[in-house]
Amino acid sequence: MDLAFSASHRRFRSELREWFAAHIDRPWRHELADPNRDADALVAVRRDFQRKLHAAGYLGMDWPEEWGGRGATVVEKAIFSEEMQRADAPPIANFLGLALLGPALIHHGTEEQRRRFIPKMLSADEIWCQGFSEPGAGSDLAGLRTRAEPDGEHFRITGQKVWTTFGPWADWIFVLARTDPGDRYGGITFFLMPLDQPGVEVRPLKQITGDAEFGEVFFDGALARSEHIVGKIGEGWKIAMTVLSYERGSTSLADPAKNDRYLDDLIAGVGGRLGNRDVRTKLAWLLVENEVMRANGLRTLATLASGQVPGPESSIEKLFWSEYAQRQADVALELLGAEAHLVAGSPGARPEMDWAHELLYSRAGTIYSGSSEIQRNIIAKRALRLPVR
Amino acid sequence: MRFELDEEHALLKQSVRDFLAKEAALDQMRPVMEENPEGYPPALYRQIAELGYPGVWLPESRGGAEMGHVGLAVVLHEMGRSALPGPFLDLVIAAELLYQASGDDAAHALAGLLAGDTIAVVAHAENAAGRSSDPLHTRGSGGRVLGRKRFVPFGASADGLVVTTREGIAWVARPADGWNATALRSLDHAQRLVDLDLDHAAALVAEGDAARRAWARAQQLGAFGAAAWLLGGMERALEITLDYLKERQAFGVPIGSFQALQHRAADMMLRTESSRAAVYRAAWALDAAPDEAPLLVATAKAYAGEAARYVCGQAIQLHGGVGFTWEYDPHLFFKRTKTLEQFYGVTGDQLEAVLQARGL
Repeated sequence: MDLAFSASHRRFRSELREWFAAHIDRPWRHELADPNRDADALVAVRRDFQRKLHAAGYLGMDWPEEWGGRGATVVEKAIFSEEMQRADAPPIANFLGLALLGPALIHHGTEEQRRRFIPKMLSADEIWCQGFSEPGAGSDLAGLRTRAEPDGEHFRITGQKVWTTFGPWADWIFVLARTDPGDRYGGITFFLMPLDQPGVEVRPLKQITGDAEFGEVFFDGALARSEHIVGKIGEGWKIAMTVLSYERGSTSLADPAKNDRYLDDLIAGVGGRLGNRDVRTKLAWLLVENEVMRANGLRTLATLASGQVPGPESSIEKLFWSEYAQRQADVALELLGAEAHLVAGSPGARPEMDWAHELLYSRAGTIYSGSSEIQRNIIAKRALRLPVR
Repeated sequence: MRFELDEEHALLKQSVRDFLAKEAALDQMRPVMEENPEGYPPALYRQIAELGYPGVWLPESRGGAEMGHVGLAVVLHEMGRSALPGPFLDLVIAAELLYQASGDDAAHALAGLLAGDTIAVVAHAENAAGRSSDPLHTRGSGGRVLGRKRFVPFGASADGLVVTTREGIAWVARPADGWNATALRSLDHAQRLVDLDLDHAAALVAEGDAARRAWARAQQLGAFGAAAWLLGGMERALEITLDYLKERQAFGVPIGSFQALQHRAADMMLRTESSRAAVYRAAWALDAAPDEAPLLVATAKAYAGEAARYVCGQAIQLHGGVGFTWEYDPHLFFKRTKTLEQFYGVTGDQLEAVLQARGL
């Protein structure tokens, strides 16, 4: 076994550190805490920063060069995400497009679709959102009921999508819709649709944090053009399931790096109480678990780097980071006390870390992208081979 | 980057597994754990030494197999899987102390241990909590050791002791009339703990800073070894439990089809796999990134201790009533977990080591 980064990986890391130091105007946490920045302004910051990343050649890291990528390895992609977290860079505006749709088009799209959509996806001129979940189809995604009905050579979409992250700022949406009500998996098709058209309404949906980062999307006979179907009719489920695997390993090191920053703030905050045994024990367990998370991430990366497909590691990583984030925020509020209840921008709030937001936001991690319960089902059935009823 | 074992280590893993399956299967070892006064078959431990396992990480120039800490992790991981009884981990720690020590006495003792001629264990605890005193009460001056050591593993039958004393680390060969030992009975019926009243001729093999460094290093190796053993134990306890979940029927179906039990099993797997990542990352660091080793060894031991406590406890729980019987195996793993948690670097000490590594 060998968990060391190669000399070229280390060079890439130091190149990135220099680049982030030179190109981040101010850390993302300071943008978030700035009372003059509303949600639109924050999206603008993200869009601008994405353009800088694109110009520097850091987007679509592992995509073929012909599609604007740099043909990088999975390890380099993971190092990029890790360094981005360490630097607290503004998150990529078009992250859903780049993480999910881009790979879907590269693997399953037509030449024309790639030419039409990929450049504007990379330049953040077109922001994408994901139309998968529905009010009646969350964990049971294949239970989705949004219909796609033929209208001449095109389709008309009717139904409702929900928990559509970035919906309020998106220009386009990739949608799973049902082309055959009689075929649970094979009756689903993958459409690309502009949101700015008759028959589409996007409503912001307020989250428990008070933000409206996601929305609901209502379709009432909206047009989906047949040349904007990814793959064939009826291949939507298969494509949706494979795109979720393209991101494997890319955030394996980023979450521990983010937690390193958070833990630094917590350690600074408890300051003089580091002699207290209870404080020490609770802090130490967070450090231990974050280090174990990094070990899991290195294992996933090393497995991918040696050309193998990780098994249950993805579900284990998802469970681990999402449940850890909740424990970490709980401990932080307990150890820091009242000031950690204050949200960014409030008088008296901790300047470097919005633990209140983190506490609330961490409740989402165990639900989205396959809830903890679904992850445990996956482990039980696929890895442990326990009987299905 | 590669997480998989290299060919050399994969071969080692297979040979340890084959050897233990043949010579130390659980049903063969059960009567040894329960009735054998030494707590292990001496002939088996001679074979283990002939295979080079007690010095697997030591350099060839000192009689080791020079397979690094990854090699040591592989051996201990497999022994944990088979719940091997006896003082193997104690031999490892004793060997490390003798290796770090200097002089002919230590070299001779190490050679005897690696050759399988002697069983040597470490005597360090002095109080009821099983911890060293600070400073130590046991004295090691003038060519003798004098003091009372507590909870010495497999001490009654040991051929030699590595004893921590106020003056340094001492080597004591078994006196002709044996040790003055009081046998203790612990919850882990496979353990053979004794209190020893020591008043014997001894050789001081490390003093001052050298002794402190050797002891710190031996404690780290013990914690690391225990973590690898814990990984093996929980891995096997999970496998046994999965077999049971698939075959045991209730309400007309295999109980493994119930979601409550599936999710428990998934949590057991999460902890087992996370322990695997942490233990082998620590092993790699000991061989290739020594600066990171203090943090990663302490992390692995603290995490694997908690994880094994959960996994082995749930192994009993998911077996239901039979899990509480002597006949079924989960208790063997549950008990060993508690031994490894307590006697090879308690969790609280590992947490302190983690904080120290962060400069806190």
